[in-house]
Amino acid sequence: MRSTPRPHAELTATLAAALSALGLGVRRNLANWPILMGRALFYLVIMAVLSALWDKVAGQNLPGTLANVLPPGGLTLYVGATEWIMLSIAAIHLRLEDDIRFGHLEPQLLRPKPYLLQRIAEAMGDTLARLLGIAVAALVALALSGRSAPPAIAFAYVAVLGVFGGAVGVLLYTLVGLSAFWVRRVLPPYLIMQKSMFILGGLFAPISLYPDWLYQAARLTPFAANTFIAGNQMIAPSAAGFVAGLASQLVWIGIIAILIALVWRAAIAKILREGA
Amino acid sequence: MPAIITVENLRKEFRYVRRRPGFAAGLTGLFARDIQTIAAVDDISFEIAARERVAIIGPNGAGKSTTLKMLSGILEPTSGAARVLDFVPWKQRRQLAYRIGVVFGQRSQLWAELPARDSFRLLRRIYDVEAKTFEVRLAQLVERFGLGSLLEQPAQRLSLGQRMRCEIVASLLHGPALLFLDEPTIGLDITAKGAIRDFIREHAGKEGQTVVLTSHDTRDIELVCDRVIVINAGRIVVDQPTDQLRRQFLGHRLVTLRSTAPKIEISLPGVVRRVSEPHISIFEVDTRTTRVDAVLEAALALGGIEDITIEDPPMEEVVREIYAAATR
Repeated sequence: MRSTPRPHAELTATLAAALSALGLGVRRNLANWPILMGRALFYLVIMAVLSALWDKVAGQNLPGTLANVLPPGGLTLYVGATEWIMLSIAAIHLRLEDDIRFGHLEPQLLRPKPYLLQRIAEAMGDTLARLLGIAVAALVALALSGRSAPPAIAFAYVAVLGVFGGAVGVLLYTLVGLSAFWVRRVLPPYLIMQKSMFILGGLFAPISLYPDWLYQAARLTPFAANTFIAGNQMIAPSAAGFVAGLASQLVWIGIIAILIALVWRAAIAKILREGA
Repeated sequence: MPAIITVENLRKEFRYVRRRPGFAAGLTGLFARDIQTIAAVDDISFEIAARERVAIIGPNGAGKSTTLKMLSGILEPTSGAARVLDFVPWKQRRQLAYRIGVVFGQRSQLWAELPARDSFRLLRRIYDVEAKTFEVRLAQLVERFGLGSLLEQPAQRLSLGQRMRCEIVASLLHGPALLFLDEPTIGLDITAKGAIRDFIREHAGKEGQTVVLTSHDTRDIELVCDRVIVINAGRIVVDQPTDQLRRQFLGHRLVTLRSTAPKIEISLPGVVRRVSEPHISIFEVDTRTTRVDAVLEAALALGGIEDITIEDPPMEEVVREIYAAATR
């Protein structure tokens, strides 16, 4: 018979369980490697289209566009990083919706470790496996394309910022998933969140190309921390930019985590009152 | 045996907004909401001792799942008190979780895409089970339940019966003192049901576990539990040992006679012949009118009786009768 752990050991045990859930997410994706390969292939198709588009825009040097202010092929490299993150983020919102709407939550709540932390850790494991799989495809494609690549340090910066950008994305999708407690179907909030991530996160073009007021507004949102911060290191790598970007991501992770905790507390109160 | 579950005057009300049909009524409803209150569980009290195996039964919407949810800590009562293993469930859910195992027949706790073994390993972390204890316990459960190669298959590829065996193993890995089983045999075939019932009875007996079970299948109650609590419309209508319930609630027994004659007749008040086969006669005896020994005397006086069987009526009839009485 297992007794309740002592308080000082509880945090370690909780983190160990979360790490185990993260490993489970990674293993799940590696076990389903054909799906991971399909995702990488989809990434390459998207990149073939977007690189052709951005190369044409840059090549024609059209007046009124800002594409030529970036290094040659810079937009393709930028989008390569942002799409890499976006396609890797696990759909935790669908998992949460499924648990909440179809009553799978109850057995999960009857466990001694926090359900939501376990689910987020699992989703982070999914995301890490996908980041790894797509990164391999992206690097091979870049090497074969003969394009000029940024310095090696830029890849190191992007790797770190990509992981934390992915974490920001997972947490934003977690908020979307938790909305199922009130709206049942998460599709409407998901669409709003996704489009905000695309536009204010600078998925297809750096937000630094936006009008200044819009750039200033967008960089203050969590969406920039999701994709732009990592993508920007492909076109303007710098240690200072890396540190500032990482700090911004960590701040957003903290803020969203607090929001999630508050929403979760309200959701638990609702479950205890009305049932799952 | 000391009580490990104590329930006192437990009540749970749910509130909902009644919507009236029609556009105008709908518009009015935006400003003046018609809030209705229903009592899903209405002032119930009972105790369950350690090692007891108790069935909580009742028709759909009777309040049995609501009761189980309050006892496991995922629902807060409107009023009343309950203690489970010395915890107040809805206030100490996480502490209680280490001591209880839960199986929801219609909800899986396994990770569908992964082999059951991976789910079990994660559960070891979730329940902080020592690696050595976990391996020994898992080996015993796997052997007892004949899981063998199933452990390596993704849960989504298992049959319902195989999955349910894995679900029960998952609920036992941390060695709980108390098992909550909500419809553990729902949807299973007869063989799978039998295996699950045998396992629960034997395992709980051997490990000294207390079992609280809800089911619509009266055989689950009959073969696993030694006490039945019947809930109807949120209230307890019967709380008795299983055997006593069957004998006391229904005032009749079944007497089966095998005879050399193709058919025998017994004319006594309260004795009704059921549809029978040649040489086998089944009589339903109303024991409030005629004693069983009087029936046997009359049968033996006829001669040519080769075998006699006296049975209680099937549990299903008992339950049907209880529900009918509760609604009268």
